[in-house]
Amino acid sequence: MNFYLPVAEMSANILVFLAMGGAVGFLSGMFGVGGGFLMTPLLIFAGIPAAVAVGTEAAQILAASVSGALAQWRRRNVDVKMGTVLLAGGLVGSVFGVQLVGALRRQGVFDFFLSACYVTFLGVIGLMMLIESTNTIRQVRAGRVVTARRSGQHNWVHGLPFKVRFHRSKLYISAIPPLLLGLFVGLLAAIMGVGGGFIMVPAMIYLLRMPTNVVVGTSLFQIVFLTAATTVLQASLNQNVDVVLAVILMAGGVVGAQFGAVAGQRLKGEELRFLLATFILFVCARFAWQLIAPPAELYSIGGMGAI
Amino acid sequence: MMRQHRLRRRRAILAFLGVLVLGLLAPGISETVAQKRKAPPPVAKEAPGSRQQDIKREQQPGAKESVEADVSARNIAVTANFNGTEIVVFGAVDGSQQPSAESGYYDLIIVVEGMPGRMVVRRKGNVAGLWLNTSSVIFDNVPSYYAVASNRPIDEIVPEDLRALHGIGLQHIKFTPAVGQSHPLSNEDIKQYRDAVVRLKRASRLYVENQFGAGFTGKSLFRASVVLPANVTVGPFVTHVYLFREEKHLYKVSVRHTLGREGLEWYLHAFAYRLPVLYGFTTVAIAVGAGLLASTAFRKGGTA
Repeated sequence: MNFYLPVAEMSANILVFLAMGGAVGFLSGMFGVGGGFLMTPLLIFAGIPAAVAVGTEAAQILAASVSGALAQWRRRNVDVKMGTVLLAGGLVGSVFGVQLVGALRRQGVFDFFLSACYVTFLGVIGLMMLIESTNTIRQVRAGRVVTARRSGQHNWVHGLPFKVRFHRSKLYISAIPPLLLGLFVGLLAAIMGVGGGFIMVPAMIYLLRMPTNVVVGTSLFQIVFLTAATTVLQASLNQNVDVVLAVILMAGGVVGAQFGAVAGQRLKGEELRFLLATFILFVCARFAWQLIAPPAELYSIGGMGAI
Repeated sequence: MMRQHRLRRRRAILAFLGVLVLGLLAPGISETVAQKRKAPPPVAKEAPGSRQQDIKREQQPGAKESVEADVSARNIAVTANFNGTEIVVFGAVDGSQQPSAESGYYDLIIVVEGMPGRMVVRRKGNVAGLWLNTSSVIFDNVPSYYAVASNRPIDEIVPEDLRALHGIGLQHIKFTPAVGQSHPLSNEDIKQYRDAVVRLKRASRLYVENQFGAGFTGKSLFRASVVLPANVTVGPFVTHVYLFREEKHLYKVSVRHTLGREGLEWYLHAFAYRLPVLYGFTTVAIAVGAGLLASTAFRKGGTA
């Protein structure tokens, strides 16, 4: 069953992309992540032009995050004030990011830049998660009681000016770090076609020292609005959002996520993190190989859009 | 309480559908606004009654024969389920002097060309151990598609200089480096980049050479079939039919035809390129709707 994708301009097998959406949806449901960092590379490896993959993924992450954000909202796990500050930075970052995508495409180095970003961020985060989860698993095996990190300790973040009180997060910190964090994640979201949760969540916990119960809700809140804005920006400035592809991926992802969530409940937190870290490092290695292996074909051609 | 909740949800779904319908209707309404945008316009539907203008015939001096030719479909529609297609080029030689189809009296070359356009070719280089695009050449008039079919290898039919003159064969496709390259180019560079274009286009089946793909089916009747793959670019096409006799060019017929988006395919592409902002908002509406729908369905399933 084929469908000619109107923006990607290629004939795609619907079942293949449904399955792809389902598989990534399963993983994202299981690990509680958006799955953009897995889906965008998969789309690119499946032959979708890199820029179209990145633009379309924003729409797909939006669909995947809406229901989660709503559930967290009902449970009052969203710090709206913090989310808004993060979003303000995120929107600025997104505008820059979308323009950067256009400029890099014209220079012909977008694919390289994308790979380099993936290698760097997935490598760092995957390694950190791998080390942390292995340590925890080892400690649990040794019979020690593992306690979560104490929040409320002070670090350099707390010495900055423009302090704002975030009631739900029980924080009184400068608005500069969340703004910068938002900006950085917004930039990455536009360039890498990810929601940025995998950077946002650890940064909120370890850098801003937010209580864990509001971290996921606030991150999802931020991602919903950020990906919505990124989708509109990509569609209007770069014309790289394929609505048909997005719908196929959404359909697969939604179903996969339900099964993934059930599967995830059977595993322990540190086991999930270990598995996720392995996945992340695998994707990272795939991109790294692409950068260092001598290519079989030195030349590549771009259509009119690539100019 | 429960009913009120359900009512609110129904209202939300109705509002979502409203936005969707509005978004889908809009491209038709504001066609005029769209014309101003620089984006490549989707191919317009062909005006009827221009059949003869689409065919150009050139008799070479001294030739007694003339040729009539046409393609099986002047307008091929690319719809949502487009998965490539085949076009048949057919025709007849008027005043044919060959005794039978098998005699090999005439030679036939058929060239099908897609729309010429600008193309960037990039070459990867190794920078500090990493492979990235380091240099590029811009070519003009690169046909999006090029197929040549003949009744025997073209280098046996026509001498090199004539092939170059008419642009017959993959080595002689007429495309040239654009003026104003970012750096000076040597002839050797250009040749390498040119070869790369042909090689890559061949690999994606967009440049095709079929040395026995055309032939006579009677004293004067001939035909050839050419495959357009699923990844072919839409736009105008031109098919040239050349008749040769002992390396001498006798006649040439050129037929214009098109490959255009139609139906849903045309619609979505036009929407994305002509009203990109509204298209973006519609995509967002669809994504939010899908997310809410999933959450509703899941909650029902979870509580049941």
